[in-house]
Amino acid sequence: MTDVELLDRSPATPTSADGALLSVRNLHTSFLHRHRWNPVLQDVSFEIARGETVAVVGESGSGKSVMAMSIMRLLPPKSSRIKGGVIFEGRDLLTLPDEEMRRIRGNRIAMIFQETSLNPVFTIGFHMIETLRRHRRMSEAEARAEALRLLERVRIPAAARRMDEYAHQFSGGMRQRVMIAIALACRPQLLIADEPTTALDVTIQAEILELVKELQAEEGMSVMFITHDMGVVAEISDRTVVMYHGRKVEEGPTARIIPAPDHAYTRKLLAAVPRLGEMSGTSLPVRFPDIDLATGVMTPARPAGRTVDPSEEPILKVENLVTRFDIRGGPLGGLTARVHAVENVSFDIRAGETLSLVGESGCGKSTTGRSIMRLVEPVSGKISMDGINMARLSRSGLRQMRRRVQMIFQDPVSSLNARMTVGEALMEPFLAHRLGDRRAAREKAETLLARVGLRPEMAGRFPHEFSGGQRQRISVARALMLDPKLIVADEAVSALDVSVKAQVVNLLLDLQESLRISFLFISHDMAVVERVSHRVAVMYLGEIVEIGPRTAIFGNPQHSYTRRLIDAVPIPDPARRQIKRTLSTAEICSPVYATDFVPPTRRYREVGYGHFVMQED
Amino acid sequence: MSDPFDVQDVHVAAPDPRETPWRRIWRDYSASPLAVAVLAVLLAIIGLAVSAPWISPQNPYDLMQLDIMEGLLPPGSVAETTGYTYYLGTDDQGRDMLSAILHGLRISLWVGVVSALCAVAIGATLGLFAAYRGGRTESMIMRLVDLQLSFPTILVALMILAFLGKGVGNVILALIIVEWATYARTARGTALVEARREYIEAANCLGVPLHRIIFRHLLPNCMTPLIVIGTVQIARAITLEATLSFLGLGVPVTEPSLGLLISNGYQYMFSGQYWLSFYPGIALLVTIVAINLVGDRLRDVFNPKGQV
Repeated sequence: MTDVELLDRSPATPTSADGALLSVRNLHTSFLHRHRWNPVLQDVSFEIARGETVAVVGESGSGKSVMAMSIMRLLPPKSSRIKGGVIFEGRDLLTLPDEEMRRIRGNRIAMIFQETSLNPVFTIGFHMIETLRRHRRMSEAEARAEALRLLERVRIPAAARRMDEYAHQFSGGMRQRVMIAIALACRPQLLIADEPTTALDVTIQAEILELVKELQAEEGMSVMFITHDMGVVAEISDRTVVMYHGRKVEEGPTARIIPAPDHAYTRKLLAAVPRLGEMSGTSLPVRFPDIDLATGVMTPARPAGRTVDPSEEPILKVENLVTRFDIRGGPLGGLTARVHAVENVSFDIRAGETLSLVGESGCGKSTTGRSIMRLVEPVSGKISMDGINMARLSRSGLRQMRRRVQMIFQDPVSSLNARMTVGEALMEPFLAHRLGDRRAAREKAETLLARVGLRPEMAGRFPHEFSGGQRQRISVARALMLDPKLIVADEAVSALDVSVKAQVVNLLLDLQESLRISFLFISHDMAVVERVSHRVAVMYLGEIVEIGPRTAIFGNPQHSYTRRLIDAVPIPDPARRQIKRTLSTAEICSPVYATDFVPPTRRYREVGYGHFVMQED
Repeated sequence: MSDPFDVQDVHVAAPDPRETPWRRIWRDYSASPLAVAVLAVLLAIIGLAVSAPWISPQNPYDLMQLDIMEGLLPPGSVAETTGYTYYLGTDDQGRDMLSAILHGLRISLWVGVVSALCAVAIGATLGLFAAYRGGRTESMIMRLVDLQLSFPTILVALMILAFLGKGVGNVILALIIVEWATYARTARGTALVEARREYIEAANCLGVPLHRIIFRHLLPNCMTPLIVIGTVQIARAITLEATLSFLGLGVPVTEPSLGLLISNGYQYMFSGQYWLSFYPGIALLVTIVAINLVGDRLRDVFNPKGQV
């Protein structure tokens, strides 16, 4: 790594005159694993000035979370070793006695995580009052007043009433706001935020980012923001530290790094982040560009070929699909309410076409896919594949149908049976459908492994010997064993790191081009959706609010929800940092209705060719 | 670093691909010296039981070999006719206790293992099926399990044997009937979690037939708790058989198991001939303790939370 210049190689002497609030110097962290010390962080140095936001960005395994834990000294002392210096307000945290360190944690440096850690048996108010009384030695009444003030600071509506509610009564975004309020309770100088928005929907993420920005401006604290998302980095940070395999590969002002990254890895990360709107020139899907990390040379993306013939009949037609789940309760298990997961959804897909279903968690996009696969039984509606209504098929008819429609799942770990070799897993569907003997099955499996970019001799290995991206390729190969015409990809690339995500997306586009496979691409990731789809359907609370060609949905969104969704996607463009968004304080609506609820009849108007929008009241 | 950025061949969770699961289990198991010692004892007991007909000095079932005149000899006595030493004494019919114990061990282990294997086969199949199918099928199977488990085991076994009569086969049958429910409940508990995992849905989408989903996908992923509980249940089955035989409803007198030996010697306990019950009792105790300790260790090995 010759192109990595380490900023600070001076010996770790505490100085406070340079204005840095936190100065990490030559930090090395190793973990004990099977009696060997494995380095996790190597020679990491950087500084955070007062009032500054520094983003630490990297993929899984880059050591970014370990760095936060090392700074806070939260790693188990028996199995971890930290060397170097962490100078905070002139004192080296690594040499402080435990008692002193405890006083710094929470008081001077606060931390928030991806998962909110609220005890379910205590009220939100109790958590806050407890913190304030312990750390700021307030009386009960003072603490209560202060807690209320803090909850209002993080824009929790009706804070006085909600203080006496429990964590499960709050939505994910609201819980994260509570965590921020607790972190702010002791007026910390530094807030370490470890992927605080990763588990949240984009519109909620946008609100939390906005909140952090506003609070930071008001309080003047410093923020160390750990994330894997370059869009989030651009949105929030002054400076950026890029981590790769436990080393810092690049550091600099965000406004400089994003338009002109120095290191090849940063370039690769940025290339894998789709930018909304950069696809306005074409109506076809576009592959991700490839960057050679050794040379840093970028191979521009090859646009996908024309795979859809508009004169053909659609292969899949979904008409008025309704799927509801019963909620039972009471002593006799009676029906109390229904979840209207999918409500009157209609669309069709042509051969070689990709239709994306987008929306936030709970909008019914996955249930739509699962209803088509008949993994859940729809209440009513018609699903015709090649003219045969799948919703009415018998068990054996369904098995035959499943040769034509296949599914890829989100989690590359749990979608493969850990006790079966990859070869067996691939051969199984082929043999189960009696498409040929074992030899034919093995040959086909090996061909497909090669097709998805793996080596045929890998068939003898078990799934745990592969990385997440490789496992997802195996899932793709397994789906292809039956030569399907349509693949339902349910969040198929959402759990993957950005660079791996790009590879799998490119693979799907290759397959579409050579085999004319259609995809129903279910995803919450608007940026990936823009890359892969021909057409897009936006779902909200079980209904399609807007459907149309991809260029129309992204270029000319009509429904207010579509606009909100597109607007919330973080874009790697530092100029956007100045844009102020209005913070919504509304709780999210839910698709749970009383048993006697009759869904309203919706009217759609056609705005352009094949572009339909639900009429809003 | 030739190409440090190649993400193609990163092995995420594989410490050593050459290490088979069995080797890992043995490595974790052998971390405790006590567990290894206990396993050695258990293997020795099994070895003795299996080879009993060839190594025991006397065939305890062959009445021609017995000499009623040498009945109730204390341990260490020497036979007058053959010059053979009765290391553990003789019973009232002049039977060598050592030979009787070896043969009794054979029957006890046979009954325990066969009944446990059959019970696990039936119980696990029903439990996995219940978990996978859900709904009414699940309710019916699990209510049957609840019903079965709500009766005292020994009572059910006594009733079955009173109905069927004595005999090794009948004891095994009775043990299967009282034991299968435990396995069904364990298998269902584990399978409930596994059946909701994506690989089961994937298999379903791929049109894999039901029996393959249950035996090829669900079963291997639910084996761990079944192996652990199976070991402990073998010990339970042996104890139960001993109890039944002691009560006179188990194996016939012609094929004495350890329980029957204890029962036979019981009447001589208070007249000083302790060895008739004592040594079979010790054999039973050591066997049960060894099986339980091995089962305990297996539970630790298979439970990732118990590891350091």
